[in-house]
Amino acid sequence: MFREAKTGWAFVLPAFLLLCLFKIAPIFVSFAESLQYTGITGEKTFVGAENYLFLFAEDPVFWNSVKVTLVYSLLVNPLVVVTALVLAMLVNVRHKFAVFFRTLYFIPAAISFAVVSVIWGIVLDPYYGLANGFLALLRIPPQPFFASSGQALLSLVFLIIWRSAGYWMIFFLAGLQGIPQEIFEAAEMDGVNRLQRIFRITLPLLARTISFVLVTNTALNFLTFAPVYILTNGGPCGATNILMYESYKSAFVNLDLGRATAISSVLLLIILLFSAVELKITRASFEY
Amino acid sequence: MRKNGRLNTAVLFIVLSLISLVYIIPLLWTAASAIRPAGSIYQYATPLTWETFFPREITADNFIHIFTREDFGIPLANSFIIASATIAFGVIVNSMAGFALARFSFPGKNLVFLLVLITFMVPFESIVIPLYILVEKMGLINTYAALILPAVGNGLAVFLFRQFFAEVPKELLEAGRADGASWPRIYLQILLPLSGPAIVTVMVMMFMFQWNALFWPLVAAYSNRLQVVQVAVASHRLTEETHWAYLFGSALVASLPPMLLFLGLQRFYVRGISKTGIR
Amino acid sequence: MKKAASIFLLVLFSLLLPLCIFGETKLEVVWMGWPKDKVMELVERFEALNPDIDVDIQLVPFPKLFQTLEVRLSSGGTPDAYIVDGPLTSSYAVRENLLPLNDYFSPGELESWFASSIAAGTYKGKLYSVPYTNSSAGLYFNKKAFQAGGVPFPPQSPGDRLTWEQVSELARKLTEDSNGDGRPDTWGLIIEQIDRPYQLLPLIQSKGGRAINPDGLSTAGCFTSSAFLEATTFYWRLFNEWKVSPQGLKDSAQSREYFGNGKSAMMLGAEWNISRLAKFKDLDFGLSPHPMFAGGKAVTPTGSWHVGVNARTSHPDEAVRFVKFMTGKEASITWHKLHGHAPARPDVYEALPEVFSSPLWQVLFYEMENTAVPRPLTPGYLEYELILREAFNSIHFGADPKTTLESATQRIDRELRKYR
Repeated sequence: MFREAKTGWAFVLPAFLLLCLFKIAPIFVSFAESLQYTGITGEKTFVGAENYLFLFAEDPVFWNSVKVTLVYSLLVNPLVVVTALVLAMLVNVRHKFAVFFRTLYFIPAAISFAVVSVIWGIVLDPYYGLANGFLALLRIPPQPFFASSGQALLSLVFLIIWRSAGYWMIFFLAGLQGIPQEIFEAAEMDGVNRLQRIFRITLPLLARTISFVLVTNTALNFLTFAPVYILTNGGPCGATNILMYESYKSAFVNLDLGRATAISSVLLLIILLFSAVELKITRASFEY
Repeated sequence: MRKNGRLNTAVLFIVLSLISLVYIIPLLWTAASAIRPAGSIYQYATPLTWETFFPREITADNFIHIFTREDFGIPLANSFIIASATIAFGVIVNSMAGFALARFSFPGKNLVFLLVLITFMVPFESIVIPLYILVEKMGLINTYAALILPAVGNGLAVFLFRQFFAEVPKELLEAGRADGASWPRIYLQILLPLSGPAIVTVMVMMFMFQWNALFWPLVAAYSNRLQVVQVAVASHRLTEETHWAYLFGSALVASLPPMLLFLGLQRFYVRGISKTGIR
Repeated sequence: MKKAASIFLLVLFSLLLPLCIFGETKLEVVWMGWPKDKVMELVERFEALNPDIDVDIQLVPFPKLFQTLEVRLSSGGTPDAYIVDGPLTSSYAVRENLLPLNDYFSPGELESWFASSIAAGTYKGKLYSVPYTNSSAGLYFNKKAFQAGGVPFPPQSPGDRLTWEQVSELARKLTEDSNGDGRPDTWGLIIEQIDRPYQLLPLIQSKGGRAINPDGLSTAGCFTSSAFLEATTFYWRLFNEWKVSPQGLKDSAQSREYFGNGKSAMMLGAEWNISRLAKFKDLDFGLSPHPMFAGGKAVTPTGSWHVGVNARTSHPDEAVRFVKFMTGKEASITWHKLHGHAPARPDVYEALPEVFSSPLWQVLFYEMENTAVPRPLTPGYLEYELILREAFNSIHFGADPKTTLESATQRIDRELRKYR
């Protein structure tokens, strides 16, 4: 580390000022909102922790959302990151056909989330969709997907993987470029096999990229909104009613800004917690 | 890699092809739906036939319609301007901040880093109203600035640059210092040239962030002349109807610029040669 | 001399030019995201008739419409006029987001619209939003499915309706799973808006149930009444016992796709299907009046979009002129021709006999005049609708009607407390 405080501040200031103005300040306003009660004509009354107390003590819908969100998170984050990593390693070759596959896997990320949701709503239609059409060819009975509380969350996870694995793949590709070719050549000459090479050399050298992808992917997945809004409305029977969606409903349907911002503050805390744990784990595993 | 080279390549190709089926099937069907005459969307979805993916009757009418009757060119141009301006400023500003966080120690640094992280951990819906009031007070409603300015500072980009710059060998920077170079010069002439993959990734990331923006433009830049591409695409979903062919057609056209950007920057991803510059 | 004169004229002109621009009032309007070319036709006509007003109309995609309005309205005088989902009128009114319009309309003028629509746009005796479109619903049926099942068509004359009991029998008869894969190839009945109170409250009200208490501020005793429960149980049985109706339909468009592709013998749906089913070339359909429960009342849903003026606008007169134009006879006729929505003005039905004399429209017009019941009038309609909709959604997936409705009524009443 260079101990030149003035230079450090000079470099960080432009972005930091912009972020403070357009993100941090509104975040603090929003947190302040969670400590208030907003009446129907907009008058605000300070109520302290009342919104939070209500959430924790008297709101079973909130607790269901917490449960659903945690399960969702524990499923989707590792799956997306591992898929992205595997894809990146597979396409990180110099063959001409790699360009085609790299772009193909990336395409879903280039289509808006809302449209991807609409497409998968039809592909996974419980009765007449393409997926069930394929299953029919394999003599498998039609599956309800989003129309069943058992399968809805898993279908959602699948949709997220499909859409975002290719996107995070490019971050891993960038990270893989940072590993000098000589290291691989040396390893090969030492007789290290492919699997050992991946776990002993590639992954540790990718540690910072992995932690970046893990943390940001986790945060963004907690903020998933479009597919729930378009495909499930939190159902069936609350099976996909993630915290983000509850917060949205509070803000724009129940017009209860206090509860909405309280939920998003709790969500922020959860995300920070997960991020801290993830940073610790990647640091410990790879000791950077 | 030398022995079994051909076999390895063949196996790789097969694996990649199998994976790509999951991608191709929905995408091909979407494209087929966009070039079919507008009609029922489920008509060819079930039962599965060749026609599901390769329509017998194809037409360019849907695309013609969105460009001539709905002026789809305007939102495409608007989003392009906004996204380009954002990455032009954003790459500079965020890489500078990432550099500071990676390589300098200064009072308050940990707090700054924490705040930077928080900026992408909060749902947009929570901050939209205060942000709107702020931008309105700045008199920027219904300007390009309203859409560009709040997006230039990007916590994800700062975080990514920080991770990347933390890998750059300290010796390189110290050597520059020892040569008497100023920090701006080191930043411009040593650091940035090494950062190809990071810069390119941030460019794609920020471009897509702006390209996919929907809610904020609706609220802050709502005038018709400022309509952005995702609003134009989304407007095909009405209360009682969805114009599938126009929705998919416009969505596919809208997905081209990010794809082309990614394609064009591919070469930064496959170099395979050492670029750290240290032997 | 000539030079001086031309300079003088040039200066005069350049001084007057800004006046011309400033003389034009600019109205900002938020509208639903209908196809732009079809909306602009009306806007341009308005501007032609009102050269001193320039309208900047923003078309917001429906999924984002309410949030966008909430953000814009929360901070002041924009937009000047906006489209209002009928039942939300009291919600906007109570939060002082709509301008009372009684001073701008004579009582005679107010009779231009359906009474139920005016009622929906009124809160505490004042008119806050003007009806723009209307709606009604009926039972669409697939003629080929009925013929294949050897069943006579349901009645098709205005007011001549089946009972729900008869409908469920027909549905059971016409649900077919020919290849035994556990998934019907033809369903008996599809409910277009499968879980929305708009579509389902008429069943409850047909049994004599009440949607909300008269003060519009609580539901205690309504959802748990035996009428409400019986109607809801009938609904539950369609999906879970008789299995004549597909679960999990997400929206109107999907329901229509199913019905249009011949996957269902009947569909309970809104009036817009008359024009929107036309794209299904193989579909031969008829319309039977909305069913009712035997021994109960005939009730049909109604109400659709309204237009309102922002209470904080700086251009109230111009905004009202815009509202009056858009809800006027000429614009309503054009709008129907472009979009196929049911007009909110009876005089439009008379003006387009070539459209509305069809038997299908005659059925619906009868309902709008005789059996239409607007949605519950409450400032908390958004909350009410969301929670009740979630309840219906869970019930159709199999949840127990009684416990689900009990929890719904508690949650709604808690939300409605803030309006007391």
